[in-house]
Amino acid sequence: MSDVTGGAAAPDAAPDAGADAGAASATGSPAPYRSSVQGARDGFPQLLLAEWTKLRSVPRWALTMAAAVVLTILVALITAGGANADHAGGDGETNARASVLRDDQDRGHLVHRPLTGDGTLVARVTAQKNSDPWAKAGLMLKESNQTGASYAAVVRTPDHGVRMQTGFSGDTTGTARGADAPLPRWLKLTRAGDSVTGHVSADGADWHRIGTVELGGLPRTVKVGLFVGSPDDVEVTRQFGGEAVEGRPTDGKATFDQVRVEGQAGGPQSVPWRDRERTAGHAGGGFTQADGTFTVTGTGDIGRDEFVDDLTRDTLSGVLIGLMAVVALGVLFITAEYRRGMIRTTFTASPRRGRVLAAKAVVIGAATFAAGLVASFGAFLLAAPVLRSGGRQPVPLSEGPVLRAVLGTALLLAVIAVFSLAVGALLRHSAAAITTVLLLVLLPLIVATGLPLSAATWLERLTPAAGFAIQQTVHRYDTVIDPWAGLGVLCGYTVIALALAARRLRTRDA
Amino acid sequence: MEATIEVRGLRKRYGQTVAVDGLSFMVRPGQVTGFVGPNGAGKSTTMRMIMGLDRPEEGTALIGGRPYRSLRTPLCEVGAMLDSAAVHPSRGARHHLLWVAHANGLPARRVDEVIDIVGLSGAAGRSAGGFSLGMRQRLGIAVALLGDPPVLILDEPVNGLDPEGIAWMRGLLRSLAAEGRAVLVSSHLMSELEDSADHLVVVGRGRLVADTSVRELLAAASGDRVLVRTASRSEAMTVLAGAGAVVAATDREALTIVGMTAERIVALLGEGGVPFSGVAEHSASLEEAYMELTRDAVDFRGTAGSSGE
Repeated sequence: MSDVTGGAAAPDAAPDAGADAGAASATGSPAPYRSSVQGARDGFPQLLLAEWTKLRSVPRWALTMAAAVVLTILVALITAGGANADHAGGDGETNARASVLRDDQDRGHLVHRPLTGDGTLVARVTAQKNSDPWAKAGLMLKESNQTGASYAAVVRTPDHGVRMQTGFSGDTTGTARGADAPLPRWLKLTRAGDSVTGHVSADGADWHRIGTVELGGLPRTVKVGLFVGSPDDVEVTRQFGGEAVEGRPTDGKATFDQVRVEGQAGGPQSVPWRDRERTAGHAGGGFTQADGTFTVTGTGDIGRDEFVDDLTRDTLSGVLIGLMAVVALGVLFITAEYRRGMIRTTFTASPRRGRVLAAKAVVIGAATFAAGLVASFGAFLLAAPVLRSGGRQPVPLSEGPVLRAVLGTALLLAVIAVFSLAVGALLRHSAAAITTVLLLVLLPLIVATGLPLSAATWLERLTPAAGFAIQQTVHRYDTVIDPWAGLGVLCGYTVIALALAARRLRTRDA
Repeated sequence: MEATIEVRGLRKRYGQTVAVDGLSFMVRPGQVTGFVGPNGAGKSTTMRMIMGLDRPEEGTALIGGRPYRSLRTPLCEVGAMLDSAAVHPSRGARHHLLWVAHANGLPARRVDEVIDIVGLSGAAGRSAGGFSLGMRQRLGIAVALLGDPPVLILDEPVNGLDPEGIAWMRGLLRSLAAEGRAVLVSSHLMSELEDSADHLVVVGRGRLVADTSVRELLAAASGDRVLVRTASRSEAMTVLAGAGAVVAATDREALTIVGMTAERIVALLGEGGVPFSGVAEHSASLEEAYMELTRDAVDFRGTAGSSGE
């Protein structure tokens, strides 16, 4: 202001500004301006389209999604090839596990004769070799000699009392007064239509009913007889990153007397007792008979095979690698907006922030599900020829649990993507959110292999890692949660994270 | 809905720092309102509160009488450019505009229209990460114009533009206001608003310093100062001070006189026989007026702050 020339220059500018202001106020207060844009809407479908446009228009993100697919398939192929290499050194017997999904085993030995119509089988167990706490000696009614045919049995075990068993998993304890079932012990199995009832007695006069099972569609003539089985002695070594399962067969042996078959049709008692046919995977056993005393030997167990391979799950395990890309994408889908401040543009276009989060969740979830389908079907279908070339038979998609595992893997990825989005919205920081999600989802799986089974069980049940249960196709010793329940646990975490994120979005400044 | 922005008693604090401290003003349609203050005066915070992004601790900000968060298809009511860097660097400019348009169901043809308006037709397919600051500003303006809204809120739109861009921006702001829109434009440099703003809201440290038309402000800032050029400086000082004026020597051959009209000065100097080479009424530039305002504001703040505690 002390500069004269500066002051002298000012008159040029100032009147102009004044004149402009005057011009504006002369044209001032015209009719209120109205937007010329017609048909604008800000509903949820518009929001979905906006978020989808965001997702598809960043080339790097499309590549990330493609990487998730390629990685998943690649790991499946490598796993399949590696499994073949391992398998080449093993014995050929597991080849018998053909293209039918089985997590049950139908072994042990049955000395049988036919029973037509209703009837009763009675016998007394006089001795049993303590080959395993769960060794079995008792009576069985079986639909046929086919492997996997339905059955009902009442058996005595060395350490777990007398039990009634059916369906390869159903088990009813018959000794309520404790696990001990001292020998000799009377057993009775009665058929009435499709119902089979088991009884136990200490003296053959005072019978205690254990239970009744329904076997749907039993033929008129079934097999009844004496059963002896003994589970493999399995040793599981767990360590970080994996497990080793080693099994040795044990031989069960028991003696029976007072064997009696009373048929309604009155079949002759002279029909001979026969050994069950020996088949692959059925090591078998035999019997001797002298003066009404039967000595039966049997190897292997009937019931659930807790140590069966889950080939489908192994094939789909590439998802562990693929999901890292999915996690990164789910997180970046929101944190990238915070990083650049673009979230403010988003929230000025759509001030209802909860809806924005919902739209983002739907878009990232649907896009990941689509990519996940390509990844899981791709992994499954491309790994199949590799497995076959190694002499292994992948279970086909027509088996319900396999289809569930393949579709479920895509679903699993989609839920993880939404979970990542929610954590990203909560933390607003890419690296922190990605690390958090990977720790929550993957760490339990890694840590679990180094923990005792009981601790690992709870870890895999209660953390988001439970979601991987959807990939199970068989029930194993290390199965901790049902497939859908496991995915439900992950969904629960996702819903909680979304709710917290929505609250935080609404209450905090953008 | 009338195209107005009404800010009443806004207050916002970040931790211990008071960013906006009881700010009230009104932005009217048909004119460009400059929102001026030094960096950190609370301009951006105020704009975010108007846009419903930050929650004020006290006070309200209404657009056409309604809070932002209650607006339907808000892009057709208010267009804003708060931060021109707020784009994903890998996303193409056209795609950036497209998702914003989709969010309010605006037709895709509107995207091409605004690209034309801001002169980005040649670069619409390129990713925003490779844009210069000036091009990003244009992209930000394009986003603000998508819904053809009656209210525009632009944070530092001139910042980073080349001279040609500045001239274009001034013309754009003037024509938008001439259509009857309310245009709020912030700047930390008053000179950037010269030739474009009609009205000024001046803030300092979160408080209102002035809410005035540009014309009134200039008149007030110019005051009644008169510059006198003379070789006989001390004689002139004696004569004028003797007649009751406040006289300051501002140069070897120049005096600034306050409290006396130029006519009277000429008469007095003539009577006293003091030679002079020129007498001129001082006319302030907007920048000078602003400097004066903010200096006062700082002084005022100093006393207000100490008495308040």
